Amino acid sequence: MRRVAYYKGCLASLSAKELDTSTQALAPRVGLELIELESVTCCGAGDIHEAEPDYYLHLNARILAYAEATGADTLLTVCNVCTLNLRQANWQLKNDEALRERVSTNLQRVGVPPYNATVEVRHLLWEIAEGEGYELLKATAHRGLKGLRIAPFYGCQILRPSKILGFEDPDRPWSLERIIEACGGEAIDYPAKVKCCGFPIIQAREETALGELIQPIEQAKDAGADAIVTPCPLCHLSLDAWQSKLRAATGKDFRMPILHLSQLVGVAAGLEESELKFPLRHLLTIGGAVSGAAASRGPAPEPSSGVEL
Amino acid sequence: MAHAIAPVPGSTTMELALKIWRYNAETGAKELRRYEVEAPDWATLLDVLDIVKDKHDGTLAYRKSCRMMICGSCGMRMDGAAVLACKTRMWDIAQSGHEPVISPMGNLPVVKDLVVDMSPFWGKIRAVKPWLEPGYDEVAEKERIVSQQQMNVIHKEALCIMCGCCVSECNSMESDPEFLGPAALAKGFRFVGDARDQTAPERLSDLNSEHGIWDCTRCYFCNERCPKGVDPRDAIAKLGAESIKEGIDHDMGAKHAKWFVTSAKTTGWLRETELVPKTQGIVSAIKQTKFALGLAKRGKVPPPVPPHVADRVKESRALYNLVKEQGRDGALGIVQGEHALGRIEFTEEAGVRELAPELQPGVEPPHAEG
Repeated sequence: MRRVAYYKGCLASLSAKELDTSTQALAPRVGLELIELESVTCCGAGDIHEAEPDYYLHLNARILAYAEATGADTLLTVCNVCTLNLRQANWQLKNDEALRERVSTNLQRVGVPPYNATVEVRHLLWEIAEGEGYELLKATAHRGLKGLRIAPFYGCQILRPSKILGFEDPDRPWSLERIIEACGGEAIDYPAKVKCCGFPIIQAREETALGELIQPIEQAKDAGADAIVTPCPLCHLSLDAWQSKLRAATGKDFRMPILHLSQLVGVAAGLEESELKFPLRHLLTIGGAVSGAAASRGPAPEPSSGVEL
Repeated sequence: MAHAIAPVPGSTTMELALKIWRYNAETGAKELRRYEVEAPDWATLLDVLDIVKDKHDGTLAYRKSCRMMICGSCGMRMDGAAVLACKTRMWDIAQSGHEPVISPMGNLPVVKDLVVDMSPFWGKIRAVKPWLEPGYDEVAEKERIVSQQQMNVIHKEALCIMCGCCVSECNSMESDPEFLGPAALAKGFRFVGDARDQTAPERLSDLNSEHGIWDCTRCYFCNERCPKGVDPRDAIAKLGAESIKEGIDHDMGAKHAKWFVTSAKTTGWLRETELVPKTQGIVSAIKQTKFALGLAKRGKVPPPVPPHVADRVKESRALYNLVKEQGRDGALGIVQGEHALGRIEFTEEAGVRELAPELQPGVEPPHAEG
């Protein structure tokens, strides 16, 4: 079991608790022992970077310092936005000694441990898409997705800017597809899987955001997807919760279920519903939509009873 | 892999095939046409297009001029991603056997084949007043020298060659065609950050319009595609930070960003439930009640009381106060990109925000450093 510091971020702590529950339940099955960070704050979500950039850098340095203090070499994230914000700060602190010294001194002045830039920030997606995590995932995903057609939706800030993220080709990513297939699902391909869900401007520019988020949902639907899976709780919120507004704005009722990555893998791993929590906490209940989709295209490739969605 | 090692330039040739979207705006006819060509090993996509036009199909239309990555004419898409044709070597692709699909840039009307109408692009560039407003009219008797340190602040933005690759992929602009977009906003920062310009507040005010800074959806396609390392998304963040520093925060986007700061220093975590009224105002928030209740039913609206407070949150507040004391507000606080590293200390000493000295007739201007 590999010990990693675990940064939940705001959504998994609050409005997307199901992401935290399912991540905690899944982690031991894929070889991860999570050390939950107690004293951390929001990463700023890109907003503090834009409003008070120097404060953004210090807030993220503080999170990294507390992660380093656990003795773990990896800080595990479950959100694209947290991943970019933390990696960007880490990249700056690792590559600029003078900057690190100033920030580290400031941290110590307010009682935070110094940061020596030994931590690597990695998303859960990357941990289970390759290496030991992937081998364990294959072994644990024995209940399988039974041929469900799953549309991977990456979101932006786990792919771009690749200078900071750098795990995979941002134009031809493969990690979600590999995981879907390891879980016995069929990965659907569609162009908008690497595009924006609109979430960062959904409050300030809802119309523009809706014009963005319709693309993945519509394309996934047209390609015959039973559900969309995403590694980002902000993409999840936008694609799931704003579908009702999309219906009001366009008259199109997609009823496309949206899953967190940890839930999708959790289904295949046979986690209990109490650990996955989707019928309870998602705007669209999965069962009806999935069985409806299966009925409309005829018999499923295998009996679908194995996946109780 | 053998193809990973490029041959000595000019020592051999390569065979490659590519597919090009042909388009005739007059008839509306669209067709994906395949070409097989023989090209020198060093050929770029632009060289290959030249061969297609010279030897296979003289009707192919595309733009080019300098052939050396500085004029910005040959922006187009290869396999859906905007590139400068003259910067894109084809050897590895030819060796892999992949047949790339070449198409015109996105977010701009197509004139013919790979040629797009750049007028919406230029219109937006013009809208940000891409010229210096030094605040005086007299013609200087001697040249006025700006220090290297002062120019470093806008170094990246000044690298822009206005090719349009960033605009081609802008996700916000696909949804809102009036969005000023990454190229114009980067150009905007190039003047807002110029030590000689005397109109930064007015410029920032203009850029805070409905289709300005806060329309950016942070998809980061612009940073990914820019062939010159301008990182337009970072320029937009710099404009946001400068606006907030100047107190230009009427836009919902600015209010949204500021609420994260308030949240971080009061509870540590985002105060989600208050985000909508703080961003959109109370009236608009009330209109959203039905939507919010739907979310609440599914546990998506955490109750504001008792607040979810981070352990040792006083450290977060103390950090805020400390950072504010140190005065790296606004764009000065943004460190991004290899060229920008170290820039903070560098520019702070040079006093980048100081106004450029006024010209005194007959008095020699200060010497540039470095």
